[in-house]
Amino acid sequence: MRSCLFSLTLALLTASPLVGQSSVTGIRNLDFGVVIRGVQTSVSPNDPVRSGRFYVRHVLNRQVQVRFTLPTQLARVAGGANLPISFGTTDAVAKGTAPTSNPLTFNPNNTQTFTLVSSADFYINLGGRVSPAANQATGAYSGTIVLTCTFF
Amino acid sequence: MRTTTRVSAVLAAFLSLGASAAMAQSANITATANVYQAMTITGARTLDFGNVFPGVAKAIGVAAATSGRFDLTGQASANVDLTFTLPANLTSGANNLPIGSWTGCTNATNTTTGCTAFTPSAAATASAFSAAGALFVWVGGTVTPGAAQAAGTYTGTVTMTGVYF
Repeated sequence: MRSCLFSLTLALLTASPLVGQSSVTGIRNLDFGVVIRGVQTSVSPNDPVRSGRFYVRHVLNRQVQVRFTLPTQLARVAGGANLPISFGTTDAVAKGTAPTSNPLTFNPNNTQTFTLVSSADFYINLGGRVSPAANQATGAYSGTIVLTCTFF
Repeated sequence: MRTTTRVSAVLAAFLSLGASAAMAQSANITATANVYQAMTITGARTLDFGNVFPGVAKAIGVAAATSGRFDLTGQASANVDLTFTLPANLTSGANNLPIGSWTGCTNATNTTTGCTAFTPSAAATASAFSAAGALFVWVGGTVTPGAAQAAGTYTGTVTMTGVYF
């Protein structure tokens, strides 16, 4: 009876996800650079320098649900003004690290679930656009973008 | 009976642990932008060689009263790359007057005294606006008329482009 109990316990423990293998890391900021007053400026998620980028790692054949918390304004660092920012339906791209992985464009305003079939890790790139007013206060602006991953 | 009950309780505990497979993590990045005022560039003065004689090259330096000049306004203290599209010839109808040996100079104020020399070209020259958002650029060059250069008024276009960086 005791040996039966131990065997059952081992079987249940190995069925759980390996927690240490699951992580999400922010690795590049979304940088619009110089933006001219009155001129809307976009960054493509495919921009290799300016797009935002996250790295996600989990377990092959498992699922990951991703959800962005996106700002609607960037705050002027010196205070006193906000810069509108928006994200379109094609402003996020996910791609696994395997050579056979194909990029998947998705809407960062919606929750998305991925099943990891070609690699246990992948990158998510994020683009967007800022819309400075004609009389936008000059200076540096910033805001925080959060990616929450739920690992199954 | 007691053994069966203990096993059931243990099984229930392990099953409840195995059912909590979802785990959430978050990470942040920052979105950044630097808002500048728009740049304006004005062709303020024509590069004028005046009277030129066949077979006699003539140079106009940046400090000359007839050197060309561009006036720029933009974001205070911002860096700017300057590039030029320069003619190889001035033209008068079908006649060409070779021009080259371009010279340039930049300054934050409207004087060539103490200006920073450079060679205008298609390659970028880095400069910067003053704290007041001003920049002045002077252009000189040399025309080389041939010995049989046809008489006439010769003209050409010098284009300067500025880009923030």
